[in-house]
Amino acid sequence: MISFQKRAGTSKGRAWTRQFISIIVALLTCAAVIALLGYNPLEVYRQIFAGSLGSLYSFKEMILTMIPLSLLSLGVIFCLRIQFVNIGAEGQFYAGALAASYLALRHPDMSAAGLLPLMFAASIAGGGLWCAIPALLKLKLDVNETLVTLMMNYIIIKIIAWLQFGPWKDPTIKGYPVMPAFSDSAILPSVLGIHSGWVIALALFAAAVIVLGRTRFGYQLAVMGSSPQTARYAGFKTGLLLMAATAIGGGFCGVAGFIQASAIENSLTYQMSNGWGFTAIAVAWLAGLRPAQALLVSALFAILLQGCAYIQISLGIPFFMSNIIQGIILFFVLGSDVFTNYRLVIRRTKDTQNALSERGGK
Amino acid sequence: MDELAYVELKGIVKTFGALRANDGVDFRVNRGEIHALLGENGSGKTTLMNILTGLYRQDAGDVFVDGRRVFFRTPKDAIDSGIGMIHQHANLVDALSVEENIAAGTERTFWIDKKKLRVRISEIAESYRMLARPAAKIYSLSVGEKQAVEILKAFYRGVTTLVLDEPTSVLTPSEADALFLNLRRMRECGHAIVLITHKLNEVFDISDRVTVLRKGNSIFTSPIGATNRTELTEKMVGRAISLNIPRTAAPPARETSRPPLLDICEIVAGDGRGRFLDRVSLQVESGEIHGIAGVAGSGQRELCDAIAGLTLVTSGSVRLNGRDIRGMGPGRQRAYGVKIGYVPEDRMEMGLAGDMSISGNVMLRDFLTGLTGSNGPGKIFFNADEADALADRIIKKYDISAPGPAEPVKNLSGGNIQKVLLGREIERRPDLLITAYPVRGLDIGASTYIFELLNREKENGVGILFIGEDLDILLGLCDRVSVMRSHKLVATLDARTAAKTEIGALMAGHSGAPAL
Amino acid sequence: MRKDIFVSFLSVIISTVLIFGALGELKAANAELKPIAKEDIKAAFIYGSPVGKEGYAFAHDKGRRALEQLGYKATALEGIPETTQFEKSVRDLIEQGYNVIYATSFGYGRYVERLADQYPNVYFNHATGDVTKTNLATYMGRLYQSQYLAGIAAALKTKSDKIGYVVSFPIPEVVSQVNAFTLGARSVNPKAVVEVKWTNSWYDPVAESGAGLELVNTGSDVIMAYLDTMSAQIAAAEKGAFAIGCSSSGAEALPKAYLTAPIFDWAKFYTADIERVVKGTWKGEFQFFGLESGVVEIDALTDNNADSAREAVQKAHDAIASGLLDVFAGEIKDNAGKVRVEAGRSLTDEQILTLDWFVEGVVGSIK
Repeated sequence: MISFQKRAGTSKGRAWTRQFISIIVALLTCAAVIALLGYNPLEVYRQIFAGSLGSLYSFKEMILTMIPLSLLSLGVIFCLRIQFVNIGAEGQFYAGALAASYLALRHPDMSAAGLLPLMFAASIAGGGLWCAIPALLKLKLDVNETLVTLMMNYIIIKIIAWLQFGPWKDPTIKGYPVMPAFSDSAILPSVLGIHSGWVIALALFAAAVIVLGRTRFGYQLAVMGSSPQTARYAGFKTGLLLMAATAIGGGFCGVAGFIQASAIENSLTYQMSNGWGFTAIAVAWLAGLRPAQALLVSALFAILLQGCAYIQISLGIPFFMSNIIQGIILFFVLGSDVFTNYRLVIRRTKDTQNALSERGGK
Repeated sequence: MDELAYVELKGIVKTFGALRANDGVDFRVNRGEIHALLGENGSGKTTLMNILTGLYRQDAGDVFVDGRRVFFRTPKDAIDSGIGMIHQHANLVDALSVEENIAAGTERTFWIDKKKLRVRISEIAESYRMLARPAAKIYSLSVGEKQAVEILKAFYRGVTTLVLDEPTSVLTPSEADALFLNLRRMRECGHAIVLITHKLNEVFDISDRVTVLRKGNSIFTSPIGATNRTELTEKMVGRAISLNIPRTAAPPARETSRPPLLDICEIVAGDGRGRFLDRVSLQVESGEIHGIAGVAGSGQRELCDAIAGLTLVTSGSVRLNGRDIRGMGPGRQRAYGVKIGYVPEDRMEMGLAGDMSISGNVMLRDFLTGLTGSNGPGKIFFNADEADALADRIIKKYDISAPGPAEPVKNLSGGNIQKVLLGREIERRPDLLITAYPVRGLDIGASTYIFELLNREKENGVGILFIGEDLDILLGLCDRVSVMRSHKLVATLDARTAAKTEIGALMAGHSGAPAL
Repeated sequence: MRKDIFVSFLSVIISTVLIFGALGELKAANAELKPIAKEDIKAAFIYGSPVGKEGYAFAHDKGRRALEQLGYKATALEGIPETTQFEKSVRDLIEQGYNVIYATSFGYGRYVERLADQYPNVYFNHATGDVTKTNLATYMGRLYQSQYLAGIAAALKTKSDKIGYVVSFPIPEVVSQVNAFTLGARSVNPKAVVEVKWTNSWYDPVAESGAGLELVNTGSDVIMAYLDTMSAQIAAAEKGAFAIGCSSSGAEALPKAYLTAPIFDWAKFYTADIERVVKGTWKGEFQFFGLESGVVEIDALTDNNADSAREAVQKAHDAIASGLLDVFAGEIKDNAGKVRVEAGRSLTDEQILTLDWFVEGVVGSIK
């Protein structure tokens, strides 16, 4: 029989080696599974890296995935830091995108200098609001935020779908349910060949690092996350802190939605998140809720996502098969965390037990 | 060779990271014996018993039951071998009845035959002459009764070796007596009983043999008749220390024109969840250590929280130096310069942020006002250098063993954690210092240090409210002792003249002092 | 905390360096459409749904496999949503050397146009699209002609005079299918009506089954769907209804219920089209293929059909293929009773591709 036993204390150095070894083990296990599926694992791995980092083009595509993913994980981090389990990043992404798109569609004639900052602000407000509602429900009525944030995802996606099929449908495209394209002034300009969302994301990350690590506000959040009772004991306004942190967290997710709608989609659709809002939760968790690490982890995820899209074409792997490979790699890399904290114990069989007890009994 | 030991642990080694919690421990207990396992905190008692009861697995060493070598992977394995543990806090489902709790997890079948179950329970109860009310719901039982249910449950599962972890710490003196009576009967039935404790009285009251653990080693085993208190204490701490707690002189009488430091009058409080205070009145003077005795859960926590502004006080008055502070939360107390230090009972739950550094913890109370200017960048940013400096100072002054101010508090030992908390609260120069069970879980060395600290603050004129559980400590350290029972404050006595029996009776609710 | 700041600074610097370094490699795209040698052709087909064993994507994929058999390199991406995900997938393809793109869904239009501008040396083909450029052609079949024939078969089979039709979006392409089907049905059975249910998706098996069942429950006994799967027909067939397939044959899936299906033979188009790329005769033009071309067809009628069906369908087929019969010839009323096409006139291609009204006999409305 095999069972898991929690490891007692872990030293930092050993934790790193263990993490490294378990990722290697994870990759080996994946290789075995990929081989079972009938593909050459070395080739698959090589192509995943070639497809995500091997050329300027693939690097750019990887960055394009990384921008929304990293911002969403940042939003999740702000909430998880105070033990507010936000699995509504997806919804906050759409809420931000919706708020920004409203302005873009309503005022196509405004100048970019006026419109883009307004859209940015609106997306923060939209995403923030969408996250603050569950926070308020938790605060006032003690409603479980996990469920509410999840449900809010579906609400906002249905609202956008309704707008797309109904009131906001582009009348110039015959009957087909798409929203009108944004005017040029609502589209983020490029910086160094990639849309300027990366500048926004980096700036927000820097701000987040400073806010969490240096400010009194960040300090209070850290205390609250570690021990809510202690925050109360110290006289913090915990309700206010909860609302502020969730609004900021939702705001980050909203900005991701704004960037995606403006720079990539040039419009709003109810299918544009690619499930990143959920991926971001894994990113935040793997990063240990630290923003700088989240940047690194979201890069790794982006490499995997882009790489798996690439092998679909280059190796002619059917899309569901590449999804499976992607899932397997994620599963084992995430799973490697288990091995850092737990030890696998293989139970001796009854026979050896008896033999040992006979010897020991003398 | 003496008779064959019933349960024997040989050369047990268990390490946690760099810490060797058990370093080759030998321990044996016979049938029909009550064996006390004595040791300071961190000496490895709990680790050893967790290995015996299947919660941990040893790195090396063997466990034998009846001479047969056994391996325990889970507590269930241990129970199957007849070894069961009674933890300090009962693991029972409040909403279920006694019999349902006993049957839960032990019956292999889906349907439980209640009639058979009830007969079996009363049989067991009878054989130990314990009282059993199988149909009673757990929430209607007292702490002592719940403990009895746990014991019944263990016997129902066929346990013949019972390990009790500090069983009297949650009991009133009379409940403890009842427990001891039961333990003696179990001994007569031939069961082996291991009593984990740090109370020497109990060791001499009830046990047949005693084993002392120190720093992960079993250093001493003796029949109880062949040893004495002084020897056991020396064995525990490794050096002879005085058990006398130094009580400094009583504060000079207050001038009648001045109000008492803390004046609580008839307060009623509660958080709406059944915890409350029922018209409590109390006065604490400057330079006084005022003890609160009482069985855990008699309202001590609510009293502290009410003074600290963490619980809503619905009527009555709370005055500090004559100023009404009722309804002032910690934030407003700080803003208005009301200086109350508070060391709550569960320090990791409330009082400290375990994941954060020592610096992060020492700045907790005053990060808004004390550590930075209230203008300019200080309004937004905190001053990490100042926090580090304060942490350094506290580490040095209170002799905290920690790698540095950046070390997360949760990585420190219990005594050092307590010193961080006490140090922070004392360094704020409070007028009133509330300490709830400040030496709970600390070893004798650390406890003595804490008592010295409190005495020093007392001499500085600080009024100290000391919530305690050990009557010897309360009577040795305090100037006055008040007794709480059922959310009421029932009496205030002079600690210099009060007798332990008297306080015990007040705690338990007897009108007179019971014969002990 | 200090470490955090350091790490983030490091990330900023690294990414900036990477991006600047990458910038140096940027090269201008060359902007000419050239014939491609057969061995250099890399064709990519993008489907909105999984290929599966039936339906729209399956029909196109038969064409792709025909190209493979002729020795062309032709790959497929399935299940690509009509978002920038499509644009990104095509960019990925082009980056890996693909030079002929077949975008098979109308909803890709906005992105195809953008990509055609971005990659002027890549051949783009957009099924059912409405915009052409020098390197962007559109292609579609007059499947409505086959629909007319399928309508005849359905109307001869129905006992309740009620036929159910499950559809995706109220776009002209879909409206024209429903209209032609209804006109065909009423040409042999003037009492027949066609009830329409929308699923707002090309691929949503759950919603499709639901719609199919609902139609049976409200009295339809022949079910048709213009979608990627036959889920609606399969669900309905379990309740005893007969089925008309779409785009590909359903004889295997529903041996007892399947009547016929308007089908594409895309291989005919794709093989000819790719040859034009090789020869350099490819043009970014609008292409519309009818029964006469063989690109659209009606599947062989099964024995489940009414006895008279085979003859009636064959007659209509010959009439349409030879140009004697125009499906959309007047007089045609809409389902509010208003005359839309006067007698002696008929709809132009332009009008067919912008249809936004249902003919008389259709129960349902364009939302």
